[in-house]
Amino acid sequence: MERPYAMLRRLIAPTLLLAVLIFSASAHTQSAPPKSATPPQSGPQAGPEAGKDRQAAPAATAPVDYDGWGKPIPSVAKNQKPAPAPRHDISGTWDPANGPDDGGQFLGAKALPVDGKPGHEPAYTPLGLEAYLRTKPSNGARMVSPGETNDPELLCDPQGFPREDLFQLRTTQVVQAPGKIYMLYEFDRVWRVIWTDGRELPKDPEPRWYGYSVGKWVDDYTLVVETSGTDDRTWVDHAGRPHTADLRVEETFHRVDHDHLEWTVKIDDPKMYTKPWLAMDKFPMRLLPPDMDVREMICSRAEFDEYDKLIGNPASDPPGDKGR
Amino acid sequence: MLNRLTCPRLILAVLVFSSFAHPQSAPPRSGTPPQSGTQKDQKTIPAAPAPLVHDGWGRAITPPAKGQKLAPAPRHDISGTWEPANGPLDGGGFLGAKAMPEDGKPEHQLPFTPLGLETYKGTKPTIGPRMVLPADTNDPVAICDPQGMPREDLFQLRTTQIVQTPSKVMILYQFDQIWRVIWTDGRELPGDAEPRWFGYSVGKWVDDYTLVVETSGMDERTWLDLVGRPHSGDLRVEERFHRVDRDDLEWTVKIDDPKMYTKPWLALDKFPMKLQPPDFDVREMICSPSEAEQYNKLIATPVSDPSPNPSSNKDSR
Repeated sequence: MERPYAMLRRLIAPTLLLAVLIFSASAHTQSAPPKSATPPQSGPQAGPEAGKDRQAAPAATAPVDYDGWGKPIPSVAKNQKPAPAPRHDISGTWDPANGPDDGGQFLGAKALPVDGKPGHEPAYTPLGLEAYLRTKPSNGARMVSPGETNDPELLCDPQGFPREDLFQLRTTQVVQAPGKIYMLYEFDRVWRVIWTDGRELPKDPEPRWYGYSVGKWVDDYTLVVETSGTDDRTWVDHAGRPHTADLRVEETFHRVDHDHLEWTVKIDDPKMYTKPWLAMDKFPMRLLPPDMDVREMICSRAEFDEYDKLIGNPASDPPGDKGR
Repeated sequence: MLNRLTCPRLILAVLVFSSFAHPQSAPPRSGTPPQSGTQKDQKTIPAAPAPLVHDGWGRAITPPAKGQKLAPAPRHDISGTWEPANGPLDGGGFLGAKAMPEDGKPEHQLPFTPLGLETYKGTKPTIGPRMVLPADTNDPVAICDPQGMPREDLFQLRTTQIVQTPSKVMILYQFDQIWRVIWTDGRELPGDAEPRWFGYSVGKWVDDYTLVVETSGMDERTWLDLVGRPHSGDLRVEERFHRVDRDDLEWTVKIDDPKMYTKPWLALDKFPMKLQPPDFDVREMICSPSEAEQYNKLIATPVSDPSPNPSSNKDSR
């Protein structure tokens, strides 16, 4: 069954651009930062960072990204000696190290995107491939028009796990408490708990969108998390990779140094894939100052329906008598 | 005629609404109540056993022992896993904001401005005296749009986890699995903010045990509560979290929107929450539009069908 892949490769580039533009504008409008927070021209501003911003005179201004409160997000400091990693601690406000969109993953899982390159498809079982070909994603090589997609996430169904890691991974707050770790995601503003109190995964759980997660420290700087019991209605990623309720996900969080975290996600679903595969491979995150407010990004069905009416459905209509 | 239909419809609406679009995840089967009880259970013989409630991991939730001496409240600390003290449905808000339910009583009449009353009349809730048939509602939550603030406090307030760091308090709600941040680092609310569903919140401790939170910048597309009370973009919400003692928290929500209401009013008034053991896993309760559509297709739309014999053109039984 290599034909489909060959054909798909030809469609990638033009459709990719279109899809990225359409999708990011529709159902998940990211809240704009408050107007009051445009870079201060004059006047006092709380915080020790203000003076530094004014003194540096950028030659070619790098685009500044703002947090949810309208504060500029500091860019990566260069040539700084990294401070040592704290022990058993992955807490903090983390941003994709290579830019806020680096975790977008519109072509599917970061480590295995559907880009036509060899080795970028997981080893499907026959059942797995069948399930994959049934998905009709809104982006990438196999994309369909907005009116035809069956991507549950576009209709504002919960992304669930592990897709929450594998599509639009953005500013992520991690908070540790005794016995558990909370992950607070930007996309859809959902939280997830990883139990570190030594409990086992439930034996025969009723599936839930975000599954059940337990974690343990395997050394001073590495937390390994196991997740099971995920609802099989979700897609693994934005490219429509499938999974069953038997899916097991292993995440590895490795605190490299004080300001850097590497996030790895491994997919293990023998019904769909003949062997486990890495969906994210040491995806780098950098630590933001603790006062960064995360922008709001929540799926709204009403906004999506509005978009569909004005743009999506007309775009899906066959060419003909539209009089354009 | 509507009055005659209210009672059965109300029950139906409560059941279908809460169970369809937001099915609460069932606990894992491995957590079914153990057959052999603890020593205490074996000694006392309950007349009618209280129904065992399970957390998200399938573990039975032990009700708090009675007659326990109250432990003192920690200072500047509202963290923990909190459950409505009077039972899991006590924060349901099925008749609207708990402190001002839409029950026809004169003391529960809201002080609407003319604009407020007009906007209110435009909402078509799925429940209460003004309820419409399911297919006719314009409740944004019925299609899983975000509840936003303050409705997240005023409808289906359930097990709520609160986590504190030096500069912020995070509230993790069960309903829709949404988190919210309250900044306690002294910053001010943003002056001219683009509205967001959950607004912008800042909080400060007014004494050792009371956190007062101000929220502004809330998107006016949301309703305040299930029965469709309105708000404008100028709404300011003040919440008070009062740590009564180690195991008890009181949650108060005040609505202040001069465009819609001539004076502020309390939507929640010292709503009591009880501290749970820290190993309590919260059950999942997330709105799914595709499930809501299924429900509409199978139940809501047929129920709303105005034709006198809805089954006449379908298969005869």
